[in-house]
Amino acid sequence: MRSPLIPEMATQEVQLNETLAHLKSESESLKSKLEEERAKLHDVELHQVAEKVEGLGQFVMKTRRTLKGHGNKVLCMDWCKDKRRIVSSSQDGKVIVWDAFTTNKEHAVTMPCTWVMACAYAPSGCAVACGGLDNKCSVYPLSLDKNENLAAKKKSVAMHTNYLSACSFTNSDMQILTSSGDGTCALWDVESGQLLQSFHGHAADVLCLDLAPSETGNTFVSGGCDKKANVWDMRSGQCIQSFETHESDINSVRYYPSGDAFASGSDDATCRLYDLRADREVAIYSKESIIFGVSSVDFSLSGRLLFGGYNDYTINVWDVLKGTRVSILFGHENRVSTLRVSPDGTAFSTGSWDHTLRIWA
Amino acid sequence: MKGDTPVNSTMSVGQARKLVEQLKIEASFCRIKVSKAAADLMAYCDAHICDDPLISPIPTSENPFREKKFFCALL
Repeated sequence: MRSPLIPEMATQEVQLNETLAHLKSESESLKSKLEEERAKLHDVELHQVAEKVEGLGQFVMKTRRTLKGHGNKVLCMDWCKDKRRIVSSSQDGKVIVWDAFTTNKEHAVTMPCTWVMACAYAPSGCAVACGGLDNKCSVYPLSLDKNENLAAKKKSVAMHTNYLSACSFTNSDMQILTSSGDGTCALWDVESGQLLQSFHGHAADVLCLDLAPSETGNTFVSGGCDKKANVWDMRSGQCIQSFETHESDINSVRYYPSGDAFASGSDDATCRLYDLRADREVAIYSKESIIFGVSSVDFSLSGRLLFGGYNDYTINVWDVLKGTRVSILFGHENRVSTLRVSPDGTAFSTGSWDHTLRIWA
Repeated sequence: MKGDTPVNSTMSVGQARKLVEQLKIEASFCRIKVSKAAADLMAYCDAHICDDPLISPIPTSENPFREKKFFCALL
């Protein structure tokens, strides 16, 4: 029990507490209003509307290539726009560029840190970005000369105060978007390393991000350990929409190809679909038998299929509209940590803690 | 690897104000009905499903990953 020395201080303290209480009740009533407004428009479920849609046939998808070469857990991968090259990063600090058609390794870089949790291919195909426990995102120009030491040309672009969890080039090689264990996302100029915009709003580590398809404008979505998925305006830094229905960390977010929705994968063993214009969750992809977390999700070209990589070593394939599972794929011998569909949709690639990458088609 | 979500401690007035401002922005959002949103998602799928190589398979000879023969680059 503190007894204020001066009466004015007591009055100030009371006023501050009143303001805080007032603000808290205002935020509670705004949250209720949000729920009410969202509920008013919830006139039907997606899977009900999709009942009249033709069911999908049987799927025959299997491993067509296995990429071996990493010495430890594969943590991340990304496709090149040329639809055949892949960059992958691993716990052992290695970043490898592969030709997925031939399975040949084209480039390899050893990072100064272990746990390279993020990697991305530049739109031009001429560089890759990566980072992890070093709290940075670095860009390596890819040389046509296989003998050239890539590490020599390394450019440090982003600096966070905790691990780098994800990175992505924007529409050009000139800007990179990053997310971090420090709870923020940031947009950087590659050439100067300058911070162009930072995004604050997550209450814990941000684990993933995805840029909206270019036609839909300058937004991106991020997911975090606070169980929230936030949609951001890249120019203003403002969080424009927020979704909190998952029951655990969100490990992966990916836009639906039209840009009107996005999917998420979480440690709560579910994938969910959020429609941006309805401003709510519109589907949950789950089964009682699936109890392990989802590490990574991506859509097929038409958006009809959602692929999820799981911690129980499997890939579950979901019918996005009907909400049912259409296939389960086996092959990896440890957690699937990363999954991306190729740019032309002919295949998808997975990376795993079993040290390999697989191409499925 | 991932940090624990921090327990919600007492918010400062500044933080509470920011939260109220953020919620006001979100509350003012223009939403559409789920039926309309669902119809649009379905329409997109429908329009693109024929071009989706993993659903409407293209001839094996045109999918470099499904081809049986190994892809060789001639130098």
